[in-house]
Amino acid sequence: MSRTTLIIRNDIKRRLKAPMATILFLIIPLAMTAVIGMVFDPGADNRTKLPPIRLLVVDNDKDLAAKFLLGALDQKELKDMFQVTLTDAAAGEALMRKGKASAMLVIPERFSDDLADQKPTALEVVRNPGEEFLPGVAEEFAATLAVGFSGLAQVFAGELKVIRSVRNLSLESVTIADMTPFLETARAKIIALKTYLSPMLLSVAATTTKKPGQENRPSGFNIFSYIFPGMLIMFLLFIVEPSLREIQNERADGKTRRMMFSPLTGRELVTARIFSGWLLGVLVSLLAMAAGTLLFGIDWGNLLLQLALVAAACFCCAALFAMLNAFFRNKNQAGAFASPIILVFSAFGGSMLPLEQLPAGMRWIGGFTVNHWFITGCRKIMDGHAPVASLAVLAAAGLFFAAIAMVALPRRLDA
Amino acid sequence: MQQKILEIKNLSKSYGETVALANFSLDLGKGEVLGLLGPNGAGKTTLISILSGTLRGFSGGVAFKGQDLFADRNLRNLIGIVPQEMAFYEELNAMENLMFWGGLYAIPEKELKKRAQELLTVVELGARAREPIKKFSGGMKRRLNIAIGLIHKPELLLLDEPTVGIDVQAKVSILDIIRDVGRQGTAVVFTTHQLAEVEQACSRIAIMDKGTILAQGTLAELIRIVGEKEIVEVSGEFSADAFSAIIRQSDGNGMEILSVADNQAHLAFADSQAIPAMMQHLFGHHLPISDLKIKSPNLEAVFLKMTGRSLRD
Ligand SMILES: Nc1ncnc2c1ncn2[C@@H]1O[C@H](COP(=O)(O)OP(=O)(O)OP(=O)(O)O)[C@@H](O)[C@H]1O
Ligand SMILES: [Mg+2]
Repeated sequence: MSRTTLIIRNDIKRRLKAPMATILFLIIPLAMTAVIGMVFDPGADNRTKLPPIRLLVVDNDKDLAAKFLLGALDQKELKDMFQVTLTDAAAGEALMRKGKASAMLVIPERFSDDLADQKPTALEVVRNPGEEFLPGVAEEFAATLAVGFSGLAQVFAGELKVIRSVRNLSLESVTIADMTPFLETARAKIIALKTYLSPMLLSVAATTTKKPGQENRPSGFNIFSYIFPGMLIMFLLFIVEPSLREIQNERADGKTRRMMFSPLTGRELVTARIFSGWLLGVLVSLLAMAAGTLLFGIDWGNLLLQLALVAAACFCCAALFAMLNAFFRNKNQAGAFASPIILVFSAFGGSMLPLEQLPAGMRWIGGFTVNHWFITGCRKIMDGHAPVASLAVLAAAGLFFAAIAMVALPRRLDA
Repeated sequence: MQQKILEIKNLSKSYGETVALANFSLDLGKGEVLGLLGPNGAGKTTLISILSGTLRGFSGGVAFKGQDLFADRNLRNLIGIVPQEMAFYEELNAMENLMFWGGLYAIPEKELKKRAQELLTVVELGARAREPIKKFSGGMKRRLNIAIGLIHKPELLLLDEPTVGIDVQAKVSILDIIRDVGRQGTAVVFTTHQLAEVEQACSRIAIMDKGTILAQGTLAELIRIVGEKEIVEVSGEFSADAFSAIIRQSDGNGMEILSVADNQAHLAFADSQAIPAMMQHLFGHHLPISDLKIKSPNLEAVFLKMTGRSLRD
């Protein structure tokens, strides 16, 4: 057995003999995901509530149905879900480019008239390409609206005509409250009739600015798959870090002196420690992902891609801490800096707050964190894409950190 | 002349302003057991760190078996080390530790296992090889620490304070082990600030302070430095200055001052007949003396003479 293998085997064996810390770091992210998920989603159905989605609405219709739709968005439950800003198309696209909104809902011209005349029309949802999940939710919501409106328009075609004929009654005085009893009686009718509503009068045309051709989001949004990857990478950092800090501890407790009397070289030791940190990280990730599927029904997408992403992320984490430990002077510094670094990474990289909710400046800084690349990569895979950018960035950064560590860290040992 | 296994020449090392080693030179023959006696901060650990290659920025040279120790890293593999700290993994048991540390030397597994079992017997841990180390006493841990240093049959064993923080019985057992190692032909350097230890276990003793060797030789040779004198230890509620002032007023009469500190001083008399007169002189000046001890020349007196201070912490 080579010396490197011996160290790796010894490291893993020791971590498994005292597994409490590792187990905790496996359980905490699961628990936190469960808690956060439940805060946003108190019901049994885990498909709806989210942090407020910043939604832009462009009203090209300005008539009854549009008014009704806007009123619906103002309802208590929907208000929690959407933060609506009325705008026009040009300003809206500018806002989205700046990352100020997740999606833009465009109500077409003659929306009300077409519905009343039973002519097909389409709500347009423009997705912000910088975000993966929230625009999807907006889109799904619009799709639901479309069903409702189609139903309303078909079932109450007669009533709609009447309302239109008395339009001089002043539209402004019609409020959602006036409509509520009407909606209540209508709802049962709609549900019963839903299957017969064909063809649909109202459809949803989703587009993504700058990125044409992107598929529609698969429906079935899972809040936990939205939260868990961020938690996972944060705790992966916590799990991988001790393997590399061990080098500092061993300098303080005489083990390094003992090692350096043996044929073991500093470089072999650093290699072994990066590898054992990596291996442990990958093993725990796989466990965590399996637990995520079992407990929260998370669909990770292509598992081979996920494995590659996890491998790249763990390597990047291990190499990062190897490099940092080359700059820490002793174990006290290593101990003092490790957690703050991980927490800052997590805050900026999207582990604590969803990436979409971070201010643009923070998001930019987040681009320098392992967390950011892991989370975006993970979502890409869940969306059915290959996380090319994430894999490339994580692997390249890992190699860069490892190269520095290989030169600088042995000097701390075999010096 | 014995074959030299270790020759240290003019090692100097400073940490900023602090001088840890100053022109430190020392020779060691095969199978010799050398006790390196020095108070806290004398530079003992610094010396061992330099030999291990984990400390740089020093001047001077070290030859091991006639070759430059720092030119060929493989030479270090012939040296065993027992750090001042418990340098092993507490999560593993004694056997696993020996297998791990021995594994670094690429010893075939079968041979390694046999060697580990032998060593565990030597350090009297044979029956507890597979117990969790967390249950070990301080003395047991110290013994395991030594066993690991011996796993690859080194030609030279360096021990840094191998007896710190353990009870008398455990100490005796460790000194026995060290003596046996020496008898089997392994050269040993062990550092300590315990006089009794070097008197018991060492074939040669070096006294070091402030990073340099002040005197070395066998116990008998060192005691000759003080000469055939009687040592008087004076204790009481006095200051060093007050004591010195009173002593200066006496006629001396072949008396030598070994050390003067607050509350304690050591004097050496070539002629024991001169002791009563000196005591009368001290009492005559109303020096508040609470205790007087007369001792025959020993290592402590040598140490006091060389360093001007007592070896205690
Ligand atoms: N890393 C360091 N930085 C600064 N000064 C140091 C460092 N290590 C040791 N010293 C100083 O060098 C001197 C020698 O220290 P060393 O540890 O070698 O002494 P020692 O003889 O082993 O003492 P002890 O009996 O307490 O173990 C001391 O004055 C100590 O304060
Ligand atoms: Mg020391």
